[in-house]
Amino acid sequence: MNTLIAIGVLAVLVLIAEIINLRKLVIPMTIIGLVGILGYTVCNIDVEVSYYNNMFITKKFSNAFSSLFIALTIFLVALSKDFYQKEFSKISDYISLKLFLLMGAICMVSFGNMAMFFLGLEILSITLYILCGSDRANIKSNEAAMKYFLLGSFASGIVLFGIALVYGATASFDISEIITITSQGTLPIWYSLGVVMIIIGMLFKIAAVPFHFWAPDVYQGAPTLTTAMMSTLVKVTAVATLFKLSFHLLRQMPEGYITAIVVIAILTMTVGNIMALRQENMKRLLAYSGISHAGFMMMALTALNTSAANLFYYATAYAIAGIAAFTVLMAVTKGKENQLIQSFSGLGKRNPLMAIVLSIALLSMGGIPIFAGFFGKFFLFSEAISKGFITLVIFGVINSFISIYYYLKVIIVMFTNNDETAEETALSIPLSYKIVGVLAVAINIIIGLCPSILLNIFQ
Amino acid sequence: MIEILFYILSTITLGSAALTVLSKNPIHSALWLVVSFFSLAGHYILLNSQFLGMVHIMVYSGAIMILMLFTIMLMNLNISHEVSKPFITKLVATVAFCLIGILMLSIVMRGAQTYDLQYATSGQDFQSAHVLGKILLNEYVMPFEMVAVLLLLAMIGAVLISKKDKTEKGA
Repeated sequence: MNTLIAIGVLAVLVLIAEIINLRKLVIPMTIIGLVGILGYTVCNIDVEVSYYNNMFITKKFSNAFSSLFIALTIFLVALSKDFYQKEFSKISDYISLKLFLLMGAICMVSFGNMAMFFLGLEILSITLYILCGSDRANIKSNEAAMKYFLLGSFASGIVLFGIALVYGATASFDISEIITITSQGTLPIWYSLGVVMIIIGMLFKIAAVPFHFWAPDVYQGAPTLTTAMMSTLVKVTAVATLFKLSFHLLRQMPEGYITAIVVIAILTMTVGNIMALRQENMKRLLAYSGISHAGFMMMALTALNTSAANLFYYATAYAIAGIAAFTVLMAVTKGKENQLIQSFSGLGKRNPLMAIVLSIALLSMGGIPIFAGFFGKFFLFSEAISKGFITLVIFGVINSFISIYYYLKVIIVMFTNNDETAEETALSIPLSYKIVGVLAVAINIIIGLCPSILLNIFQ
Repeated sequence: MIEILFYILSTITLGSAALTVLSKNPIHSALWLVVSFFSLAGHYILLNSQFLGMVHIMVYSGAIMILMLFTIMLMNLNISHEVSKPFITKLVATVAFCLIGILMLSIVMRGAQTYDLQYATSGQDFQSAHVLGKILLNEYVMPFEMVAVLLLLAMIGAVLISKKDKTEKGA
């Protein structure tokens, strides 16, 4: 709760800083503030309290994910200074919107009441619609914002309908009360319909396969920093919320439900990876790879009681690697119309540091050992095997192979010399990009070497 | 008496909603939507929640409709020059909609419980703004504050999108 209030206060302070013309202070102040809040949250990670009539409940799960969100926001804010260089007069709006988005994300993992869940979801989505369309002179950004807004508000409507049906069946918005009611007598049939609608809305938000069509276009059109936010912070938030909702609401569900989840997970992994093979645009490639990673994270839904730690580990590994990859993407394609993979050619010579950062990030996403991504996949797979979902794991392994192909394609482009197109001029990278990229890669390797740092939180 | 009123209101609601979808001229659509919203407010009042009914009239029939009409007129959409969609799309959409409708209907028909609200015996006026305000600021104070955050960020977003760029010429 204090975390949430502190972030809100920080967001308002950022807005006040604009009034008294201290725009230069905004980013350092936000970073210092967020680091403080992160420290506070990590120190209180074991505290389990419920606030305001069970509206807001802090548990290990929610505290751990909140810390992850805050850490990701610190990275994203640190990148903002150089990314928004041209429109520095708007910097405090951008930063405060990011902080509000963080508030929404924290609400989504620590809600104790469906009203709080829905408000968190709306705060998160509406901020994203705004950020997607913030580059208003660019027609692609407008298209992305419009598409995301129309489809996203439809998904929110479906979630709301689901919440209403669950309320109709249990006469309560309160999660703990819903749990008591659902674990006792028989429920009216529309309870499961409501839960399925909520789950469908969340599957849209994580871009699982039958609901994934918006993702590539929106990722490509949105300003790159917003894309970075969507594919790391927002995706992880949505997956964590889906997990929490499934954990609390899935009682008395029909037999076929778990089969449906398994099928959707397999489809999400496979379609995401196969589409990614053909992409020429780096942002679209990362969008499709994000879809397939959502499929991997959905594996955690097959073992709700035991896989919270594994999901947290996977989410951290994926998000940190995503931050590193997008940092390099922003540095390389700055001021360019398209983000083609070709623009990375010869990066190994032009700027070895950035090339290495991107290689490590992509190898981690592909699941090469030592890096965190491998262990994330390993833990999820072994959990699924112990629950008996062999088919799911076979598809997961096949998909890991496919994904390594297109990640390596990018790495090969970076380190081969094709003299005709390669720009020989060394690339000048802002200091903040370097720091964020190196830090993200370092965290990735550290948690890859000792996964117990994160896994022990949940014990 | 109330039953007859309910059927009349339902006919108006469903009929005007259908006309909203079917009419070719966007302004006609918007006006039919006003009728639909008004009759929905009637349903609220029939269910003994006058406050909700009034708020519905003020917010939906008033504010939101004005916004929609303004948008339609400003964007000059009153001549319907939308591209007609292929027949197969329309067919699929209709079939999907009907299936969802049948699903909802069958589920609602199966519900056998009747909820006894004990309205008369509780001695409290559930529909009054008094009770509503108490609940909103006691039990639901945190969602209330989060709504404030939501409105604030929507306002910041509007400012952000409409702010004048220094580099942009003639914007």
